Amino acid sequence: MGALDGIATGFQVALSFEGIMFVLIGVFVGTFIGMLPGLGPISAIAIMIPITYGMDPTLALVMMAGVYYGAVFGGSTSSILLNAPGISGTVASAFDGYPMAQQGKAGKALAIAAISSFAGGTISVILLMIFAPMLASVAISFGPPAYFALMLLGLSAIASLSEGSTIKATISAVVGFMIATIGIDPQTGTSRFSFGSANLLDGIDFLVIALGLFAIAEVCYLIMNRKKKSIGSAKEIGSLKLSKKDFKEMSGPAGRQSFLGFILGILPGAGATIASFISYITEKKIAKKPEEFGKGSIKGLAAPEASNNAATSGAFVPLLSLGIPGSGTTAVMLGAFLVLGLQPGPMLMTDRPEVFWGIIASMYIGNIFLLILNLPLIPYIARLLTIPRPMLISLVIMFSFIGVYAISFSTFDLYLLLAFGVIGLLMRMFAFPAPPFILAFILGGMMEQSFRQSMTISDGSLSIFFTNNISLVLIIVSVLSFVFPLVQAIRTRKKEKAEA
Amino acid sequence: MKKFLAISLFILLLGFLAACGGEEAEETQAESEDSEESADNNESADSGSDGEWAPEQNIEMVAPAGAGGGWDTTARMAAQVLNEEGIIDQSIGVVNKEGAGGAIGWSYIANQEGNPHHLFVSSSPILLVPLNGQSDHGHEDFTPIANVIADYGAFAVREDAEWENLNELFEQMKEDPSSVTVVGTSSPGSMDHIQFVRFAKAAGVDITKIKYVSAPDAEGITQLLNGSADVFSTGVGEVVEQVRAGEIRVLGVTAEERLEGEVMSEFPTAKEQGIDEVFINWRGFFGPAGMTDAQVAYYEEKLKELSDSEAFADIRSNYGWNEMFMGSEEYQQFLDEEKENLKGLLEELDLLAE
Amino acid sequence: MLKNVNQRIAIVLALISIIYLILSYQLPTYPYIPVDADAIPKALGWLLLVLSVGLFFSKDRDSEEQKARRRIPKKDVISLLVVFVLVFLYITLFEALGFILTTILFVFTCTWYLGYKKHLVNAIVSIVFPVALYSIFVYLLQIRLPAGILPF
Repeated sequence: MGALDGIATGFQVALSFEGIMFVLIGVFVGTFIGMLPGLGPISAIAIMIPITYGMDPTLALVMMAGVYYGAVFGGSTSSILLNAPGISGTVASAFDGYPMAQQGKAGKALAIAAISSFAGGTISVILLMIFAPMLASVAISFGPPAYFALMLLGLSAIASLSEGSTIKATISAVVGFMIATIGIDPQTGTSRFSFGSANLLDGIDFLVIALGLFAIAEVCYLIMNRKKKSIGSAKEIGSLKLSKKDFKEMSGPAGRQSFLGFILGILPGAGATIASFISYITEKKIAKKPEEFGKGSIKGLAAPEASNNAATSGAFVPLLSLGIPGSGTTAVMLGAFLVLGLQPGPMLMTDRPEVFWGIIASMYIGNIFLLILNLPLIPYIARLLTIPRPMLISLVIMFSFIGVYAISFSTFDLYLLLAFGVIGLLMRMFAFPAPPFILAFILGGMMEQSFRQSMTISDGSLSIFFTNNISLVLIIVSVLSFVFPLVQAIRTRKKEKAEA
Repeated sequence: MKKFLAISLFILLLGFLAACGGEEAEETQAESEDSEESADNNESADSGSDGEWAPEQNIEMVAPAGAGGGWDTTARMAAQVLNEEGIIDQSIGVVNKEGAGGAIGWSYIANQEGNPHHLFVSSSPILLVPLNGQSDHGHEDFTPIANVIADYGAFAVREDAEWENLNELFEQMKEDPSSVTVVGTSSPGSMDHIQFVRFAKAAGVDITKIKYVSAPDAEGITQLLNGSADVFSTGVGEVVEQVRAGEIRVLGVTAEERLEGEVMSEFPTAKEQGIDEVFINWRGFFGPAGMTDAQVAYYEEKLKELSDSEAFADIRSNYGWNEMFMGSEEYQQFLDEEKENLKGLLEELDLLAE
Repeated sequence: MLKNVNQRIAIVLALISIIYLILSYQLPTYPYIPVDADAIPKALGWLLLVLSVGLFFSKDRDSEEQKARRRIPKKDVISLLVVFVLVFLYITLFEALGFILTTILFVFTCTWYLGYKKHLVNAIVSIVFPVALYSIFVYLLQIRLPAGILPF
């Protein structure tokens, strides 16, 4: 069966009455669960698996896919409104989304996020449809050295993620990396810095750190400023009016980063988090006014949002075309396939074209539904911010608690959450930026593993990083991205001196 | 008004979905009320130690791993069949206690000592992980109830690899161990590593020189396909699709005899290639320590029924699992022997925790 | 002496890095791998030590804005501490009393303490939210939150 026939079959599935119904249910449940504190796509899919028992596999998977990208779509809401990222893919959305909401433009921020997500989702599905069969080889082209280089590229951006002191940003990153070394080391099985506690054997969960450093630290500032009037009137906050200029500003980053996000999403293990960070950083680097980033820039919000949604479709490439789950979320998706009696693998496309293409085709429709569902709700969701400060504070603490408790079901993590809240407060007081910390925490662990995997393969020779083409190119790019700003800075300083 | 409408729509939809999934649970709950009474009667009848016993409340089945893996699937499928076929009336809920290769789930169960309403699924890691020193709890701290499934390992190479069979591979490794990189999902000293080491040792390879890379999160197959690693040591079920697509070949499986199934029956065993070694990834059910004989007998009988049921046979063939039932006593003995075995291997690899 | 805040922070960070290094050097070794589990932690520990020395001697001084950030009025320090104590109690009682009870108590007390005057609204919110969330999580999503002493 040719690809065209396949696409036609796919749309037949997606546009049937049941198809539309199940996409709708999927994206609805997905956004709803995604908006809930601490519940990301992994829990959303795991929660829905038992419901699919006995359903038609194609329709069930169309629904599950909807749950997945729906949860990513809805996940940015708590990032933007409360500075409380529920999943790692939406951390970068808080950098500019939260400041924008604080300026009384919450509705606008949510609208930008929704439209960029829609753009990311739709563009990437088109790419998925055209290239899915061919991209399978890209997905497996990254060996350990290439991953190491990719993580290095991500980390090279630390300096550009912070205002002011580079040394403080670097210290933040090193400490974040140190936290990532806690727990069992996969390469040797040694347990590191866990002090014999079973709770630390698996390391510290991302959510504990993200909610601690961002949400709880923010709550502390809210406590100090609780007497200040809350921001703007309900009507103003809820307004999602975007001017032509706004659209123009977001179209560039949303378009570009949809492509980048898709490509990074294809790589198993890289995924939405790295995609959103790298997209944010590239937009900041090429922006005419990089100083606006971090203070409520439209570009700074549109880039990671388009990117993390595009990465979600990208993650379907290795899953559908190779049967390789690239992330924790797609691993659970794989579980859903198995429950339904399907074995995803290289043969899925030929064995069950209606499943393969049905899922892809349904994603077009799903993204349209998501936009239609979300836009009218934004004014109401945004009004969350008009809740009086004292009550908002209590509720944010409660939300963070549920989110953290729902991962480990132990109060140990809640104490940790409190501890990271205090660390986050101290970091703010002494001007240590939090983004490098969280970036190094996320990338550090993967970087260490891929570095040591490479070293085992090469018997301890560093040359492995330079003989592999992909890693060589990525290392050169990361060195350049590190050196270039330095050279620029020296030049401008020289110029200033010459002028003076 | 609009707001209200939107919210009620949300809730309605969710409610609808929950109802779809929840129906069965409710039914069994209704049934269980009846049996609760009978359970009460039983209890009053057998205040002695060796009477009948039946669960008095809902049973919690712990999968000491995340959703989607082998333990989770076994737990969910078993719970489903046990309830749907009416083997156990009390409703069985599956709970995931993920992390640290199982240690987090085990330490949770260890705290439930004497509570017969908690069961959990485990396999070889419950022997290996404590030997590595990564868990304070081993199988000795729990009550083995019954083994139900056997799974086997497979050693796969790329389609264009130079080795035609296991002997060729091991011959090369004997000459130059560092020319071959082995990849597996778990850390050294855990399942994927140990199964390979066992066969390599039987073939005479210096096992301390084996290059083993641990690639969590299903990266193992990626590393095999892109040439970063040469041999992928994993479960049989993980390789079938890739073999079907002609991407990889299986040099040997760890089973005693050839497996059944369309693709799997073509995999040669190591044994038929003259390597006298077998590795079974058994999978079974355990309870917390301090269960009475009556409680063990109850679950043992029910799990036997599960293992013999047609519904579970279908599930086994769906996932490519093999039947391997062992009752509590036999299981206990098997585990003790297996642990001694593994201990020797780990000692040689310097992976044994003091 | 140590007038500069950065210098004081640098000393704290140096101490942290030394503790971390001591722990790293105690990690068990595994002989058959080129880069062992302790390599990266050691590197990170030394790196942090060097960076903290760098921070100690760095010239950058706090801007006025940053100083203002640190100046917390005494009253606010007290309210922060009180909220922390409340949160601490919340965690400690979370599993024993159950999600619903502790959350109702926490949300009401914390909101009241922070100066919200409409007690009726507060009471309604602090009861409705936890109960609604509890039902969504436990009954719809099948995610178990601690029930505690309440029977459901």
